[in-house]
Amino acid sequence: MMAFNLAWRLFKHEARRGELTIILLAIVLSVASVLSLSLFSERLQQALTDKSAEFIAADSQLRSRNPVDPMWIEEAGKYELNTAYQLSTRSMVFAGDALALSDVRAVDNAYPLKGKVKLSTIPFGEGIATDNSVPRGEVWADSRLLQVLKVDIGDEIEVGEAKLKVARILSEIPDAGFSIFNTDPILLINAQDVAATKITGPGSRVSYKYYFTGEPSQLEDYYDWLRPQLDREVHRWTSIEDDESPIGNSIARAEEFFLLASLLAIVLAAVSIAVAAQRFSQRHFDPVAIMKTLGAGKSTVRTIYLIQICFITVLGIILGSVIGYLIQQGVAFALQGQVEVAIDTWYWRPLGIAVFTGVTCAMLFSIYPLLQLFSIPPLRVLRRDISSTVSSKFLQFAFSGGAVFLLMWVYSGNLKISSILFAGGIVLVLSLLAMTHVLIIIGRKLGSGSMGAWTLAWARIRRRAMGNSVQLISFAITIMLLLVVLVMRNDLVKQWRDQLPEGTPNYFIANVTEAQKEGLKSHFDTNNVLYEKFYPVARGRFVSINDESVRTEVTKEGEERSNEGRQGLGREANLSWTTELQTGNVIVDGQWHDVWQEGEPVPVSVETDIADRLEIELGDTLAFNVGSEVIKAEVTSLRDVDWQTLQPNFFFVLHPKAMENFSATYITSFHLDESRKNEIAPLMAPFASVTLFDVDARINQIREIIDQVSLAVEFILILVLIAGSLVLVAQVQASMDERLEELAILRTLGLKGSRIRFSVINEFLIIGGVAGLMAAFANEFSLYLLQVNVFQMPFALHFEYWVIAPVVGAIVVGLLGALSCWRLLSLNTAHLLRKMV
Amino acid sequence: MSKASLMIETKNLIKKVTTNEGELQILHPISFTVSAGESVAVVGASGSGKSTLLGLLAGLDEVSGGEIFLDSEPLHNMDEEARARLRGDKVGFIFQSFMLVQSLTALENIMLPAEIAGLDDAKKRANEIIKQVGLEHRAHHFPNQLSGGEQQRVAIARAFITKPKLLFADEPTGNLDSVNSQKVEDLLFALNKDLDTTLILVTHDSQLAQKCDRQLQMTAGELVEKTPHLKVVSGE
Repeated sequence: MMAFNLAWRLFKHEARRGELTIILLAIVLSVASVLSLSLFSERLQQALTDKSAEFIAADSQLRSRNPVDPMWIEEAGKYELNTAYQLSTRSMVFAGDALALSDVRAVDNAYPLKGKVKLSTIPFGEGIATDNSVPRGEVWADSRLLQVLKVDIGDEIEVGEAKLKVARILSEIPDAGFSIFNTDPILLINAQDVAATKITGPGSRVSYKYYFTGEPSQLEDYYDWLRPQLDREVHRWTSIEDDESPIGNSIARAEEFFLLASLLAIVLAAVSIAVAAQRFSQRHFDPVAIMKTLGAGKSTVRTIYLIQICFITVLGIILGSVIGYLIQQGVAFALQGQVEVAIDTWYWRPLGIAVFTGVTCAMLFSIYPLLQLFSIPPLRVLRRDISSTVSSKFLQFAFSGGAVFLLMWVYSGNLKISSILFAGGIVLVLSLLAMTHVLIIIGRKLGSGSMGAWTLAWARIRRRAMGNSVQLISFAITIMLLLVVLVMRNDLVKQWRDQLPEGTPNYFIANVTEAQKEGLKSHFDTNNVLYEKFYPVARGRFVSINDESVRTEVTKEGEERSNEGRQGLGREANLSWTTELQTGNVIVDGQWHDVWQEGEPVPVSVETDIADRLEIELGDTLAFNVGSEVIKAEVTSLRDVDWQTLQPNFFFVLHPKAMENFSATYITSFHLDESRKNEIAPLMAPFASVTLFDVDARINQIREIIDQVSLAVEFILILVLIAGSLVLVAQVQASMDERLEELAILRTLGLKGSRIRFSVINEFLIIGGVAGLMAAFANEFSLYLLQVNVFQMPFALHFEYWVIAPVVGAIVVGLLGALSCWRLLSLNTAHLLRKMV
Repeated sequence: MSKASLMIETKNLIKKVTTNEGELQILHPISFTVSAGESVAVVGASGSGKSTLLGLLAGLDEVSGGEIFLDSEPLHNMDEEARARLRGDKVGFIFQSFMLVQSLTALENIMLPAEIAGLDDAKKRANEIIKQVGLEHRAHHFPNQLSGGEQQRVAIARAFITKPKLLFADEPTGNLDSVNSQKVEDLLFALNKDLDTTLILVTHDSQLAQKCDRQLQMTAGELVEKTPHLKVVSGE
């Protein structure tokens, strides 16, 4: 009880007198930044998850080749899941003499569970979202279908044996998928009309989709229940996390960035707590010596200070939580409308993480300084020069380093990111230690002579260089962390934007014949339409590898994961041929077939993922059945393909020689400005047989998400910058304590205030500049590891920061030093001396 | 003199420290006794070993050789925890630089040893003794709000709150002007007399030293009795 009372009294007075400000600020900072970052990113992720859920029209989807046991759907009700249903098949639809193959999708009234069906009033016109379902007896038809069947709204078409009225023009359905191959125009009908159409009779290839939404845990429980009953050949369970489309990848990268930013915020907080705890410990050397002299045993001292640290931690956590919540809420409100953040939703996990971080940081980073404190001998009351008996830099680094790594690892669950950042940190520490030695040598030369401001600054650096290496390292780590977040944000946003630059094709056309090709090009030129390259395409059945027949279908459907973005290779493969390597394709093995000699086997280049899946190796002979002929080609190269570009890409690219006897159709893409959207129908009218795909809506969706994610990333950058700046303030404040004695002595000896002030500023300028330079180098190292290994991005050196970092580091640290120093030197000498005592 | 009435007894007390140049003996074998209730001044030049001796006698430092008995308890055989307990039970301290805990008020500083010793009436005792030193109106002020003289009076009150058998004072007036020095001296000796405490006073001030029953001269680690009517104790 005595220890508790004493701890409470010390805590109360020290808090009131502002002596705990630095350590409290550090804990508040750690908790506030982690809470605001995690809460914001959780809310943003929820918004993005909801957004990406629209692409599968649900949170999860069960696809099946047969209708599933109705009991399965009933069971979903028990898990409080919402369900919807879709049956789809390809069927010919007729309107008078005209006919067209259509992708018929029969849906129930609950469809879609996520996202909206969009309808337009004119073909290829802008879609408007609707909450209604397609009524019985009516169809909502794709613009292309109206074009081919030459029908209009109100006309009747025959779907199987039923006659249904075209009620609306279908512009978009959430889970339409994105494939420029094999896609027929969609026709949406009511599920209750299916029986009348008889389109699901024997021989028809029908697939069934069951949609589910609900709480993630309940969805998971339901899937756990369902999984044992699923047959891999028949059923496929898809969740939004399985999305490998460009959007899925963007979101995944954004999540990784959030994680990275949060980790860095934790490290920043940890650094500030380490600095603050060191200062706290040093300020209590005397009280501990006094207490021990007055009869307090080691355990009493330990208890008093551990309780006090608990008080500080609890107060820090409470203040940090409130401030973190307010920051996050403020930013969410500020971004309202621009970023869809579910601001009304409260998540406990971020609070849990923030509290855990606060407690762990406060405790782990206090261990070493507290051990030092506990070891203060009572003899210090007689001999003030006696310090702690625990003084091992190695122990200090081991404790702090181990704690940082553990915290990062536990928090991220990602050993790779944690190890990379940690390795960056170690390189930085080692470089800084080397730099410190260089500084000592420089200081020895520059710090002698008259008492000028620069001489004094160098002399002080020389004296403190080793002792203050911790401070120099913490400055540099802070600057490095800020640089990592800043550069990652710039590179990431730039890459996202490059993915969809202005003028990205928003329409694809397929089935362009050789005869139409030149005519279409000049038609586009006349109408000022920007078009891309025309790629020849032929359908080929993949028959064998080295004469061993292929059983596996060349389709992504054979995999556990779905891929809405590139679905539809089917049993047949789309073959293309060219001698020119497509943009975004990289040969990773073998040689690209730009040169071919007569008599050699015809070369084919294979995409690496499909090669892995089908165990295709260089030198293998692949056989494709094209029309009635078999084409054999030898694998001469393996290609990595950037599927994130919205360009046509191919698993198999042959040398043109292989296809010289076949007539090709071509696919291409073009961009038509939003304002010219209504021109599309008349524009394509002269080429009615060409198939047109409008991917504008899809591109806009992607762009919208990228814009939102970029904005959010910007916010996180600002938060981390604020956190980092506060850490710098804390560090400078802490270091001013150490300078107090010297300032007081110099002042007492009559040295001019301005000279002392400039010497301190110069000292900070030098430290800030060196820390900035080292941070810029360490930043490159960390970025290299992060971008290459985690974000799968190309790496380039950022030379501009080699200049910016030292300059900004020197200015910021110098300014902060100047401010703190101003405050101290504004006190009169007597006050200064008393403060020292 | 009976063994029981001895407050301090040292036998061949030695202190050595290890420096870069090798081992350095700071105190040469010192043997002396101090009776209960006696006041003894240890005088000597700076660096003569006064503070080292004080540190050893108070159990703040470990001996390199020899024996120290404090109120018949073998200090030289005790670990740090046991020495801390002994200090809490029997010893009070006054320092030149006051050594008050800056984040505690005057009253709380005075209470500190009583609280550490587990005394239930710590606050009551503190309130009584703060009146004795004439600082009841400054009870809730922090050390940096008090003058040097006031801080030392707080330190004296803190030293006497547990009614220690033995009081160590290290240059108690070293940081004070003459007026405050006089006040502190008077207070120190008055309380010492009232509570029948044994006083070991380390000082440069010969006038202050003369107020003690005995004076011991410390020179280069050796102790010489300055008051000839009592036993000279330094040396083998």
